[in-house]
Amino acid sequence: MTTDSAAAAVDPGWEALARVAAGDAEAFASLVDSHQERLLRLCERLLGDAEEARDAAQDVFLKAYRKAAAVRPQGQVYTWLYRIAVNHCLNKLRRRKLVRFLRWEDTEERDAPAFEPPDEAADPAAALEARRRWRVTRRALARLPENQRSVVVLVRFEGLSYKQVAEVLDITEGAVESRLFRAMRRLEAAQEAAGSRVSQGEAEP
Amino acid sequence: MTRGIEHDLMRLLHNELPADEARTLRARVFREPELQELYARLERTWQGLSLPPAAPVPAGFTGRVMARARSQASGSLSWSAAPRWVRATAAAALVAGAALGLGVGRTWPAAGGGEAGSESVTFLSATAENSLADSYWSLVEDTAAADAETEAQP
Repeated sequence: MTTDSAAAAVDPGWEALARVAAGDAEAFASLVDSHQERLLRLCERLLGDAEEARDAAQDVFLKAYRKAAAVRPQGQVYTWLYRIAVNHCLNKLRRRKLVRFLRWEDTEERDAPAFEPPDEAADPAAALEARRRWRVTRRALARLPENQRSVVVLVRFEGLSYKQVAEVLDITEGAVESRLFRAMRRLEAAQEAAGSRVSQGEAEP
Repeated sequence: MTRGIEHDLMRLLHNELPADEARTLRARVFREPELQELYARLERTWQGLSLPPAAPVPAGFTGRVMARARSQASGSLSWSAAPRWVRATAAAALVAGAALGLGVGRTWPAAGGGEAGSESVTFLSATAENSLADSYWSLVEDTAAADAETEAQP
Protein backbone atom coordinates (compact mmCIF):
# COMPACT_ATOMS: atom_id res chain seq x y z
CA MET A 1 0.00 0.00 0.00
CA THR A 2 2.96 2.29 0.54
CA THR A 3 3.87 4.55 -2.35
CA ASP A 4 7.00 3.45 -4.13
CA SER A 5 9.04 6.61 -4.50
CA ALA A 6 10.85 5.40 -7.60
CA ALA A 7 7.58 4.71 -9.35
CA ALA A 8 6.18 7.97 -8.06
CA ALA A 9 8.93 9.96 -9.74
CA VAL A 10 7.86 8.74 -13.17
CA ASP A 11 4.11 8.95 -12.82
CA PRO A 12 3.07 9.52 -16.45
CA GLY A 13 0.20 11.62 -15.15
CA TRP A 14 2.57 14.56 -14.79
CA GLU A 15 3.27 14.56 -18.52
CA ALA A 16 -0.44 14.68 -19.15
CA LEU A 17 -0.70 17.54 -16.67
CA ALA A 18 2.05 19.43 -18.51
CA ARG A 19 -0.03 19.07 -21.68
CA VAL A 20 -3.05 20.39 -19.76
CA ALA A 21 -0.97 23.40 -18.74
CA ALA A 22 -0.11 23.94 -22.41
CA GLY A 23 -3.82 24.10 -23.23
CA ASP A 24 -4.36 20.54 -24.52
CA ALA A 25 -8.10 20.01 -24.02
CA GLU A 26 -7.88 16.31 -24.81
CA ALA A 27 -5.30 15.80 -22.07
CA PHE A 28 -7.56 17.59 -19.61
CA ALA A 29 -10.55 15.46 -20.62
CA SER A 30 -8.43 12.37 -20.13
CA LEU A 31 -7.30 13.58 -16.68
CA VAL A 32 -10.94 14.12 -15.68
CA ASP A 33 -11.92 10.72 -17.05
CA SER A 34 -9.20 8.90 -15.16
CA HIS A 35 -9.72 10.55 -11.78
CA GLN A 36 -13.40 11.46 -11.65
CA GLU A 37 -14.57 8.29 -9.97
CA ARG A 38 -12.17 8.43 -7.02
CA LEU A 39 -12.51 12.21 -6.60
CA LEU A 40 -16.31 12.07 -6.64
CA ARG A 41 -16.19 9.28 -4.09
CA LEU A 42 -13.75 11.17 -1.87
CA CYS A 43 -15.84 14.35 -2.00
CA GLU A 44 -18.99 12.39 -1.21
CA ARG A 45 -17.32 10.71 1.78
CA LEU A 46 -16.08 14.03 3.11
CA LEU A 47 -19.20 16.08 2.48
CA GLY A 48 -21.76 13.35 3.10
CA ASP A 49 -23.85 14.55 0.19
CA ALA A 50 -23.68 13.14 -3.34
CA GLU A 51 -25.17 16.24 -4.96
CA GLU A 52 -22.73 18.60 -3.28
CA ALA A 53 -19.90 16.20 -4.06
CA ARG A 54 -20.58 16.55 -7.80
CA ASP A 55 -20.18 20.31 -7.66
CA ALA A 56 -17.14 19.99 -5.44
CA ALA A 57 -15.44 17.48 -7.75
CA GLN A 58 -16.04 19.81 -10.71
CA ASP A 59 -14.49 22.67 -8.75
CA VAL A 60 -11.51 20.46 -7.88
CA PHE A 61 -10.83 19.67 -11.53
CA LEU A 62 -11.12 23.35 -12.44
CA LYS A 63 -8.67 24.26 -9.70
CA ALA A 64 -6.30 21.58 -11.00
CA TYR A 65 -6.71 23.05 -14.48
CA ARG A 66 -5.78 26.52 -13.22
CA LYS A 67 -2.85 25.26 -11.16
CA ALA A 68 -1.47 22.82 -13.73
CA ALA A 69 1.16 25.27 -14.96
CA ALA A 70 2.49 26.02 -11.48
CA VAL A 71 2.72 22.50 -10.09
CA ARG A 72 6.09 20.83 -9.54
CA PRO A 73 5.92 17.15 -10.54
CA GLN A 74 6.58 15.11 -7.44
CA GLY A 75 4.89 11.98 -6.16
CA GLN A 76 1.66 10.82 -7.74
CA VAL A 77 -0.78 13.04 -9.60
CA TYR A 78 -3.71 11.58 -7.67
CA THR A 79 -2.07 12.60 -4.37
CA TRP A 80 -1.95 16.17 -5.61
CA LEU A 81 -5.57 15.98 -6.76
CA TYR A 82 -6.58 14.45 -3.42
CA ARG A 83 -4.92 17.36 -1.64
CA ILE A 84 -6.88 19.90 -3.68
CA ALA A 85 -10.06 17.90 -3.06
CA VAL A 86 -9.55 17.59 0.71
CA ASN A 87 -8.76 21.30 1.07
CA HIS A 88 -11.75 22.22 -1.06
CA CYS A 89 -14.16 19.97 0.86
CA LEU A 90 -12.87 21.12 4.25
CA ASN A 91 -13.40 24.72 3.15
CA LYS A 92 -16.93 23.84 2.09
CA LEU A 93 -17.57 22.25 5.49
CA ARG A 94 -16.27 25.35 7.26
CA ARG A 95 -18.44 27.56 5.09
CA ARG A 96 -21.43 25.33 5.84
CA LYS A 97 -20.73 25.67 9.55
CA LEU A 98 -20.51 29.47 9.29
CA VAL A 99 -23.76 29.71 7.34
CA ARG A 100 -25.42 27.54 9.99
CA PHE A 101 -24.07 29.85 12.68
CA LEU A 102 -25.37 32.92 10.85
CA ARG A 103 -28.77 31.28 10.54
CA TRP A 104 -28.74 30.35 14.24
CA GLU A 105 -29.17 26.68 13.41
CA ASP A 106 -28.29 24.35 16.23
CA THR A 107 -27.99 21.06 14.40
CA GLU A 108 -24.46 19.73 14.29
CA GLU A 109 -24.99 17.79 11.11
CA ARG A 110 -26.99 18.21 8.00
CA ASP A 111 -29.50 15.57 7.09
CA ALA A 112 -28.38 15.47 3.51
CA PRO A 113 -30.14 13.12 1.13
CA ALA A 114 -27.30 10.63 0.95
CA PHE A 115 -27.10 8.20 -1.91
CA GLU A 116 -28.19 4.70 -1.00
CA PRO A 117 -28.08 1.87 -3.50
CA PRO A 118 -31.36 0.13 -4.34
CA ASP A 119 -32.33 -2.78 -2.11
CA GLU A 120 -31.19 -5.96 -3.81
CA ALA A 121 -30.14 -8.00 -0.80
CA ALA A 122 -31.65 -11.41 -0.45
CA ASP A 123 -31.78 -11.07 3.32
CA PRO A 124 -33.95 -8.11 4.37
CA ALA A 125 -32.65 -8.22 7.95
CA ALA A 126 -29.06 -7.96 6.73
CA ALA A 127 -30.00 -5.10 4.41
CA LEU A 128 -31.68 -3.30 7.26
CA GLU A 129 -28.65 -3.76 9.49
CA ALA A 130 -26.33 -2.51 6.73
CA ARG A 131 -28.41 0.63 6.34
CA ARG A 132 -28.40 1.18 10.09
CA ARG A 133 -24.59 0.96 10.10
CA TRP A 134 -24.36 3.43 7.21
CA ARG A 135 -26.49 5.90 9.13
CA VAL A 136 -24.46 5.48 12.31
CA THR A 137 -21.21 5.90 10.36
CA ARG A 138 -22.43 8.99 8.50
CA ARG A 139 -23.58 10.56 11.72
CA ALA A 140 -20.35 9.69 13.55
CA LEU A 141 -18.22 11.04 10.68
CA ALA A 142 -20.26 14.24 10.53
CA ARG A 143 -19.54 14.86 14.20
CA LEU A 144 -15.78 14.43 13.91
CA PRO A 145 -13.64 17.54 13.71
CA GLU A 146 -12.78 18.15 10.05
CA ASN A 147 -9.11 17.22 10.36
CA GLN A 148 -9.99 13.88 11.96
CA ARG A 149 -12.74 13.21 9.46
CA SER A 150 -10.40 13.61 6.51
CA VAL A 151 -7.86 11.20 8.03
CA VAL A 152 -10.50 8.54 8.75
CA VAL A 153 -11.99 8.84 5.27
CA LEU A 154 -8.60 8.60 3.59
CA VAL A 155 -7.45 5.59 5.61
CA ARG A 156 -10.69 3.66 6.06
CA PHE A 157 -12.55 4.37 2.86
CA GLU A 158 -9.82 5.31 0.39
CA GLY A 159 -7.36 2.69 1.65
CA LEU A 160 -4.42 5.08 1.88
CA SER A 161 -1.43 4.34 4.11
CA TYR A 162 -0.39 6.76 6.86
CA LYS A 163 2.47 7.88 4.61
CA GLN A 164 0.14 8.62 1.71
CA VAL A 165 -2.28 10.47 3.97
CA ALA A 166 0.63 12.51 5.33
CA GLU A 167 1.53 13.43 1.74
CA VAL A 168 -2.02 14.38 0.85
CA LEU A 169 -2.54 16.52 3.95
CA ASP A 170 1.03 17.80 4.12
CA ILE A 171 1.42 16.73 7.74
CA THR A 172 3.71 14.23 9.46
CA GLU A 173 2.89 10.54 9.81
CA GLY A 174 2.85 11.10 13.56
CA ALA A 175 0.11 13.69 13.14
CA VAL A 176 -1.88 11.26 10.99
CA GLU A 177 -1.59 8.63 13.69
CA SER A 178 -2.56 10.95 16.47
CA ARG A 179 -5.60 12.33 14.60
CA LEU A 180 -6.68 8.79 13.83
CA PHE A 181 -6.30 7.76 17.43
CA ARG A 182 -8.44 10.64 18.67
CA ALA A 183 -10.98 9.90 15.97
CA MET A 184 -11.13 6.23 17.02
CA ARG A 185 -12.10 7.28 20.53
CA ARG A 186 -14.92 9.45 19.26
CA LEU A 187 -16.10 6.85 16.77
CA GLU A 188 -16.20 4.18 19.42
CA ALA A 189 -18.28 6.42 21.68
CA ALA A 190 -20.63 7.24 18.79
CA GLN A 191 -21.09 3.59 17.93
CA GLU A 192 -21.73 2.69 21.55
CA ALA A 193 -24.30 5.45 21.88
CA ALA A 194 -26.04 4.31 18.69
CA GLY A 195 -25.96 0.70 19.90
CA SER A 196 -27.54 1.58 23.20
CA ARG A 197 -30.24 3.61 21.44
CA VAL A 198 -31.09 0.62 19.27
CA SER A 199 -31.12 -1.76 22.24
CA GLN A 200 -33.44 0.62 24.07
CA GLY A 201 -35.80 0.48 21.10
CA GLU A 202 -35.45 4.13 20.08
CA ALA A 203 -36.16 4.87 16.45
CA GLU A 204 -33.14 5.74 14.33
CA PRO A 205 -33.35 9.29 13.05
CA MET B 1 -2.62 0.59 29.94
CA THR B 2 -0.26 3.07 28.29
CA ARG B 3 -1.23 5.26 25.40
CA GLY B 4 1.81 3.90 23.53
CA ILE B 5 0.51 0.36 23.39
CA GLU B 6 -2.89 1.57 22.19
CA HIS B 7 -1.20 3.45 19.37
CA ASP B 8 0.76 0.33 18.49
CA LEU B 9 -2.41 -1.75 18.45
CA MET B 10 -4.05 0.74 16.14
CA ARG B 11 -1.03 0.63 13.83
CA LEU B 12 -1.21 -3.15 13.91
CA LEU B 13 -4.86 -2.99 12.94
CA HIS B 14 -4.03 -0.66 10.05
CA ASN B 15 -1.07 -2.77 8.86
CA GLU B 16 1.29 0.07 9.62
CA LEU B 17 3.79 -1.80 11.80
CA PRO B 18 6.97 -3.29 10.34
CA ALA B 19 6.65 -7.08 9.94
CA ASP B 20 8.87 -8.05 12.90
CA GLU B 21 7.17 -5.59 15.28
CA ALA B 22 3.78 -6.77 14.09
CA ARG B 23 4.74 -10.39 14.77
CA THR B 24 5.93 -9.58 18.29
CA LEU B 25 2.84 -7.55 19.11
CA ARG B 26 0.49 -10.23 17.73
CA ALA B 27 2.16 -12.74 20.03
CA ARG B 28 1.64 -10.40 22.99
CA VAL B 29 -2.00 -9.85 22.07
CA PHE B 30 -2.45 -13.61 21.91
CA ARG B 31 -0.93 -14.05 25.40
CA GLU B 32 -2.40 -11.06 27.27
CA PRO B 33 -6.19 -10.92 27.71
CA GLU B 34 -6.12 -7.21 28.47
CA LEU B 35 -4.45 -6.47 25.14
CA GLN B 36 -6.77 -8.90 23.43
CA GLU B 37 -9.76 -6.99 24.69
CA LEU B 38 -8.29 -3.65 23.69
CA TYR B 39 -7.44 -4.88 20.21
CA ALA B 40 -10.90 -6.39 19.79
CA ARG B 41 -12.45 -3.04 20.72
CA LEU B 42 -10.36 -1.16 18.18
CA GLU B 43 -11.13 -3.73 15.54
CA ARG B 44 -14.86 -3.59 16.27
CA THR B 45 -14.87 0.19 15.96
CA TRP B 46 -12.88 0.17 12.74
CA GLN B 47 -14.81 -2.62 11.05
CA GLY B 48 -18.06 -1.07 12.24
CA LEU B 49 -17.43 1.93 10.00
CA SER B 50 -19.40 1.28 6.90
CA LEU B 51 -20.74 3.45 4.10
CA PRO B 52 -22.77 2.52 1.04
CA PRO B 53 -21.03 2.42 -2.31
CA ALA B 54 -20.54 5.92 -3.68
CA ALA B 55 -23.08 7.26 -6.16
CA PRO B 56 -22.18 6.43 -9.76
CA VAL B 57 -20.38 9.04 -11.84
CA PRO B 58 -23.14 11.16 -13.38
CA ALA B 59 -23.46 10.94 -17.14
CA GLY B 60 -21.76 13.81 -18.94
CA PHE B 61 -19.58 14.76 -15.97
CA THR B 62 -16.44 15.21 -18.08
CA GLY B 63 -18.36 17.31 -20.59
CA ARG B 64 -19.63 19.63 -17.87
CA VAL B 65 -16.15 20.09 -16.42
CA MET B 66 -14.77 20.78 -19.89
CA ALA B 67 -17.50 23.34 -20.58
CA ARG B 68 -16.74 25.17 -17.35
CA ALA B 69 -13.02 25.09 -18.10
CA ARG B 70 -13.65 26.51 -21.57
CA SER B 71 -15.82 29.30 -20.19
CA GLN B 72 -13.08 30.17 -17.69
CA ALA B 73 -10.41 30.10 -20.37
CA SER B 74 -12.43 32.37 -22.64
CA GLY B 75 -12.06 35.04 -19.98
CA SER B 76 -15.69 35.75 -19.28
CA LEU B 77 -16.19 38.74 -17.04
CA SER B 78 -16.63 37.50 -13.48
CA TRP B 79 -15.43 38.29 -10.02
CA SER B 80 -13.12 35.31 -10.07
CA ALA B 81 -11.35 36.80 -13.10
CA ALA B 82 -10.82 40.17 -11.44
CA PRO B 83 -7.33 41.02 -10.12
CA ARG B 84 -6.68 39.84 -6.60
CA TRP B 85 -6.44 43.35 -5.13
CA VAL B 86 -9.80 44.32 -6.64
CA ARG B 87 -11.39 41.20 -5.19
CA ALA B 88 -9.73 41.76 -1.83
CA THR B 89 -10.89 45.38 -1.63
CA ALA B 90 -14.42 44.52 -2.71
CA ALA B 91 -14.54 41.57 -0.32
CA ALA B 92 -13.33 43.73 2.58
CA ALA B 93 -16.06 46.24 1.81
CA LEU B 94 -18.61 43.45 1.68
CA VAL B 95 -17.48 42.00 5.00
CA ALA B 96 -17.48 45.42 6.67
CA GLY B 97 -20.94 46.13 5.32
CA ALA B 98 -22.27 42.73 6.29
CA ALA B 99 -20.77 42.97 9.78
CA LEU B 100 -22.33 46.37 10.24
CA GLY B 101 -25.68 45.18 8.92
CA LEU B 102 -25.57 42.04 10.97
CA GLY B 103 -24.65 43.95 14.10
CA VAL B 104 -27.50 46.37 13.57
CA GLY B 105 -29.85 43.51 12.76
CA ARG B 106 -28.93 41.57 15.88
CA THR B 107 -29.05 44.49 18.28
CA TRP B 108 -31.80 46.53 16.69
CA PRO B 109 -34.73 44.32 15.64
CA ALA B 110 -37.14 45.81 13.12
CA ALA B 111 -40.16 47.61 14.43
CA GLY B 112 -43.23 45.45 14.88
CA GLY B 113 -41.33 42.40 16.06
CA GLY B 114 -39.75 41.62 12.68
CA GLU B 115 -36.47 39.74 12.68
CA ALA B 116 -34.15 42.04 10.83
CA GLY B 117 -31.12 40.00 11.84
CA SER B 118 -32.37 36.79 10.38
CA GLU B 119 -33.33 38.56 7.15
CA SER B 120 -29.84 39.90 6.73
CA VAL B 121 -28.22 36.49 7.27
CA THR B 122 -30.66 34.82 4.92
CA PHE B 123 -29.61 37.37 2.33
CA LEU B 124 -25.98 36.60 3.04
CA SER B 125 -26.35 32.86 2.76
CA ALA B 126 -28.43 32.99 -0.38
CA THR B 127 -25.84 34.69 -2.56
CA ALA B 128 -25.59 33.46 -6.12
CA GLU B 129 -22.71 31.65 -7.77
CA ASN B 130 -19.82 33.92 -8.74
CA SER B 131 -21.13 36.66 -6.55
CA LEU B 132 -18.91 38.96 -4.56
CA ALA B 133 -19.38 36.77 -1.49
CA ASP B 134 -18.29 33.70 -3.46
CA SER B 135 -15.34 35.64 -4.69
CA TYR B 136 -14.41 36.48 -1.12
CA TRP B 137 -14.56 32.83 -0.12
CA SER B 138 -12.53 31.79 -3.14
CA LEU B 139 -9.92 34.35 -2.19
CA VAL B 140 -9.75 33.06 1.37
CA GLU B 141 -9.55 29.45 0.17
CA ASP B 142 -6.99 30.19 -2.51
CA THR B 143 -4.76 32.03 -0.09
CA ALA B 144 -4.96 29.27 2.52
CA ALA B 145 -4.47 26.41 0.10
CA ALA B 146 -1.97 27.93 -2.35
CA ASP B 147 1.18 26.86 -0.54
CA ALA B 148 -0.13 23.47 0.43
CA GLU B 149 -1.21 22.58 -3.08
CA THR B 150 1.55 23.87 -5.27
CA GLU B 151 4.71 24.43 -3.28
CA ALA B 152 4.65 21.67 -0.66
CA GLN B 153 4.39 18.86 -3.14
CA PRO B 154 4.34 15.31 -1.79
